[in-house]
Amino acid sequence: MISTPSFPIRLVFPPQGHFTQPYLALPCIQAWLETHGFDDVKTIDASVESYDHFLTPEYLSWANGVIQDRLPLERYRTMDSLSFKELDAYRAAVESAVSAEAVIAEIDQAKRTLRGPDCFDRDLYVPAVRTIYHGLRLASAAHFPSQLTPHNFTMGYANDRSAEVLRAIEDGIQNPFVRYFEEQLLPRLVAERPRIVAMSVIYGSQLIPALTLGRLIKSVLPECHITAGGGFLAYIGKKLMHAPGVENALDSMIFFEGEAPMLKLAETLRDGRSLSEVGSLTWFDRSGGKVRTVENAPMHPIRLDDAPTPTFDDLPFDLYFSPETVLPFDINRGCYYGECTFCTLPTVIGPGYRTRKAETIADMVCEMKTKFGVRHYNFITDCMPPGMIRDLPEELLSRNADVFWWSDARVEPKAYTLEGAKRLYESGCRKLLFGFETATPRLLKLMKKGQSVRSTLEVAKNCTDAGISVTFYAMVGFPSETREEARDTLKLLIDNAHIVREVSLQTFHIDEVAETYHDPKQFGITILDDPEADLQLYHDYLSETGMTQEEAAEMFSELMAGFREHMPLFAGDNIFYFMQKSHYFLHLARGTTPDEFARDSRDRTARRKARTVDPGLALPKHWKSLELPFSYTEVVEKLGHPLARAIRPDFLTGRFVEGAEARAEAALGGVTRKARALVYGGGAEFVEVRPDGVRALEALDAAGSLGALYPHVADGTESLDRFARELYRLGLLEIPRAEPSLRDHELVANIKDSLPTS
Amino acid sequence: MSTQDPNVPNKESKDAQAADNTAPKAEAPTTPLKEKIGFAKLDLTVDEVEERISPRETNVFDK
Repeated sequence: MISTPSFPIRLVFPPQGHFTQPYLALPCIQAWLETHGFDDVKTIDASVESYDHFLTPEYLSWANGVIQDRLPLERYRTMDSLSFKELDAYRAAVESAVSAEAVIAEIDQAKRTLRGPDCFDRDLYVPAVRTIYHGLRLASAAHFPSQLTPHNFTMGYANDRSAEVLRAIEDGIQNPFVRYFEEQLLPRLVAERPRIVAMSVIYGSQLIPALTLGRLIKSVLPECHITAGGGFLAYIGKKLMHAPGVENALDSMIFFEGEAPMLKLAETLRDGRSLSEVGSLTWFDRSGGKVRTVENAPMHPIRLDDAPTPTFDDLPFDLYFSPETVLPFDINRGCYYGECTFCTLPTVIGPGYRTRKAETIADMVCEMKTKFGVRHYNFITDCMPPGMIRDLPEELLSRNADVFWWSDARVEPKAYTLEGAKRLYESGCRKLLFGFETATPRLLKLMKKGQSVRSTLEVAKNCTDAGISVTFYAMVGFPSETREEARDTLKLLIDNAHIVREVSLQTFHIDEVAETYHDPKQFGITILDDPEADLQLYHDYLSETGMTQEEAAEMFSELMAGFREHMPLFAGDNIFYFMQKSHYFLHLARGTTPDEFARDSRDRTARRKARTVDPGLALPKHWKSLELPFSYTEVVEKLGHPLARAIRPDFLTGRFVEGAEARAEAALGGVTRKARALVYGGGAEFVEVRPDGVRALEALDAAGSLGALYPHVADGTESLDRFARELYRLGLLEIPRAEPSLRDHELVANIKDSLPTS
Repeated sequence: MSTQDPNVPNKESKDAQAADNTAPKAEAPTTPLKEKIGFAKLDLTVDEVEERISPRETNVFDK
């Protein structure tokens, strides 16, 4: 092994990925490089660092100032109506104006709550998550129409057009990462002068931020080689590397599994050899005064059991928005089944299927537990083979690993017997996610899922009986699916809500690797191409039978509404647990059973609905109202319509749907003036009242509590009580935690008895 | 604490009054706790805003 201390390499995970736990690829590559002699390698999670930066009082205060310049409220003052195109800006402007002060005041506490033991207190957790969401809306509004959420980053530029992507990376107004990188990350990189910066681009939401960073680094460190790889680039990388202008942000791209090509790239650059030697690399040959894209032949993947334990040492565990660190760890790569006609995810790692031995996995988990003090793991796998389902629990138990874990899984009825599931539970498994997809056997056959509805439910029941929480992946809109079939799926899932706790629902989409794209006749569809989308990965299609894409989007909303009504974890604000990756799992790991969690969720929703008026009700410290010229609720409802949602880049695909804005504008229209007021109290949703409601709130605020207001009521106590009860139910009014004394209650009751009613 | 943005027309503005043709009007309490306040004629309608969670963003599988 040759030590190469003078060859710094920085591995960067660009924004945006979810902020609750680290990502795996770069720690794997760091470990591989270190094992092979590179000892100045560091991993930087620029995604979680940027979330942390944007969600500071300082940044949000800056954002609030920018918003007042970019989205001034006075422009709405004289308008009689808002056109459809103006709704989004109006919403961002009024939300920011009414919530900024409270969010800025409460953001630090919200982050502390999510990162500490208070995260397990539902009454503290939900307001904290909401404050984080509101904080991101505020930060995003400064860069309107860009939106950074916990799950996505989108701009007003299309991800599937290289000319737009390249404009986006230079747009310092809409792109928040230009300033963030310039001020926060770039100075660190300049000081460390890496010879290589390698970025992992797993999601489409990372494309623009990654190229933004690449361009900036090239401008100040021209000798630094900028490369990128990862799942999303495995799909569109070739197209990207042939798009003019990308050479200003990248030097090369690594395809599929990264360890071996990255090591070869580092050795080649260190030794001054030609990049043509590096397998799986596509690179820009800048010799001869012209830029030429060169595609090298692919490299062999590594033997997975040779891969060392990932190096998580550089990751900022204290920055992730989670009370416990949950580490990802890959037990295998690729998919041993590999037949599903809609799925192309296993292909991003390259051809073939490889696994670590169960003994190796257990050894490494124990090593990570000792080294990092982490007991919670997210096993990364497309599906766990039956042998591993049998062997891994035994290996973990024989080592007294004492860890908790969750992972994706494939329905294997012979492995997920009740006994098998019990062994998994004993080894720490608390949650498994199965690809259920649909309740329609005809569609399962077309998908080549190789499983029946009955066997899937049997497996789910065995896991549930063993204490493991079950999540189903489900799909709506597979070619030829009818509305009735989609509703059958909804009914079956609701009927089995006692064994299926969560449903991760997707609308069907077609990417260029899928069988549905290459053999559309088999599925009765015609693929539509967008000739202007030179980075196109996903395609619209026409289906001969069944739902159209638009109808599938509507059905998605119908199914979600059904889940929200019938599944405790999806009801009301309980859905935050589902949305924050491992947060629900962490409750399970603490000993809460899925039944107990569901019951607590149900009870919490019921308690909120049953809230009655209480003399102790008071406004929160940071409440604010804003009188509006147009109804906020009306605007939000229009923007929530499936047609309007299609205007934003699609969540999964990042695409702008062709003609979506014109269709939505024609169907939904704008809004006309209505005198309303928006109220925000911190940690709750926005509430819209009439201007009279603001007067009532001001009176309540002046009195200090509802009980203290009663003596000043001339008439209409019942109206006031109804108003207060509704606001209590919505979370705007709360009873301060220090309850009024019994004497106060009796006093108030006496006063109320003497009041006139309306 | 409650503040009203000066850039948005308040209840007394001509435009706002013209638009708000449904709500019964009541005098705003200038000194709310020094005199009795009538709530019977106030329009205390509350519009619930749906949870601002995009149901499209509930796929933990991807992000």
